[in-house]
Amino acid sequence: MLSKFFIIFNASLQNEFTYRLNFILWRFRNVLRLLMTYFLWRGIFVNSPQVFGYDQSQILTYILLTLIVVSIVLSSPSGERIGEEIANGDLSNYLVKPLNYLRYWFIRDVASKILNLSFNILELSLLFLWLRPIVNLPNNLISIFGFVYAISIAVGIYFLLNASLRFFAFWSPENIWSIAFLTFVFLETLSGAVFPLDILPKTVQIGLQFTPFPYLIYYPIAIFLGKIQGLEIIRILIQSTIWLFLIFRFAQFIWKKGLKTYGAYGK
Amino acid sequence: MKNIKIWLKYSINSAQQALSNRAAFALFTVGKTIRILMFLFFLVFLFSGTKNLAGYSKDQIIFFYLSFNLIDTLSQLFFREVYRFRDLLITGNFDLVLTKPVNPLIRVLLGGFDIFDLPIAFFILIAVIYYGSLNLHPSLINWLLYFLLIFNGLIIATAFNIFVLGLGIISTSVDHLVMVYRDLSSMLRIPADLYIEPVRFLLTFAIPLGVMITFPPKALMGILSVQMILISYLLSFISLALGIKFWGYCLKHYQSTGS
Repeated sequence: MLSKFFIIFNASLQNEFTYRLNFILWRFRNVLRLLMTYFLWRGIFVNSPQVFGYDQSQILTYILLTLIVVSIVLSSPSGERIGEEIANGDLSNYLVKPLNYLRYWFIRDVASKILNLSFNILELSLLFLWLRPIVNLPNNLISIFGFVYAISIAVGIYFLLNASLRFFAFWSPENIWSIAFLTFVFLETLSGAVFPLDILPKTVQIGLQFTPFPYLIYYPIAIFLGKIQGLEIIRILIQSTIWLFLIFRFAQFIWKKGLKTYGAYGK
Repeated sequence: MKNIKIWLKYSINSAQQALSNRAAFALFTVGKTIRILMFLFFLVFLFSGTKNLAGYSKDQIIFFYLSFNLIDTLSQLFFREVYRFRDLLITGNFDLVLTKPVNPLIRVLLGGFDIFDLPIAFFILIAVIYYGSLNLHPSLINWLLYFLLIFNGLIIATAFNIFVLGLGIISTSVDHLVMVYRDLSSMLRIPADLYIEPVRFLLTFAIPLGVMITFPPKALMGILSVQMILISYLLSFISLALGIKFWGYCLKHYQSTGS
């Protein structure tokens, strides 16, 4: 069982390195995005020592952490492929194999995340040496453990959320990219990937807790930075776990329903 | 004239194909509108915490952002086919394009007019005219310069896309290249002046995205010198000439390796 998934893991890593220029450009884009956000905020802080209650070092720490968290949580090749495989009938190849389709893609995602994270650490180290930003790091173990747990849950939520959306290809294969695009638009802003969500009005922040988005990026970072402390950490972690459970059940439900309608069109 | 007729034919075909899926059209339009509004909301919100950004007022920053969206949307409207070029290469279908008596560059660059972007481009254009007139009070000359520089920006966008297509022939890596271009241009959702040196210089002159995106609103605000306007046209024509030259070079090295 384990060896089967180790082989998938290994094959995924090899696959990533096959198209080298693509790989280099992928890394270049990652660095570019970081620099983009970094220099934007540096520019904003030229005139104001504080923006939204954040000083420069706090916001720069948030941005650098965002890069790491995004590379762990949102790096997910399964996203596009699942919908595509259902739409063109390639799913049939998996259904006849002694393999759990969701688990297969999860392993491939993990391989991609590990690769992404390894290169991120390398790139971040180089950028640190170049930019020498002042960053704030936590000084207690609870924040670190809370961060690790929140990240693990976020990985699960994102994977299942993405997969559930792509499962709609069973019914409407031609609309999958537009549904995914619409969700990604919300995710981009409401997850905290562009700016920390605590700059938003309190009511908006409370409302967002009833969506899965802030549990992906914002809350793990807020826990790490000590913006959320004590019992509040436990509450957020419980809420995120509930979201994971709900989305897991939803994904299972859609998958089972979808398989019943699957006609292997295209093959 | 012949090329314009061919482009029109491609565009009509592409629009008919896209409009056959109305749900996708609606979802895309809603998604794109929300994306534009969300960053706009962020900018407005940013100004509740700071008085000005790099010497620009809230109205000016919002106008820069609207102008970025206008150029970005227009460039996607015309050059959407570039995003599909990789498929043509790896499937070998580009060979079929080359056998036809049509300039292949027209086909791969302009062959996929994206009707999905048309209503968004139209609404942004209205927003630009309305917001600019209401808050920045430009003269007619400033408006004329603004639209001339928007056109100039589209020439630079054309050059970039041709360059991406050329590199695609050599490497088949089109997807990430297009996205690098999109990432770089999205840095200019805010004026290049907000970035510190050397990023500002690189964005403005080394990669003439600053000329493409931030020069038109600067001309409208009357803060762009005549020399800079002339330089921007010079840069765009040099970029376009280099792009076409590069395309020719790449086409000669096309190996038809698609299966």
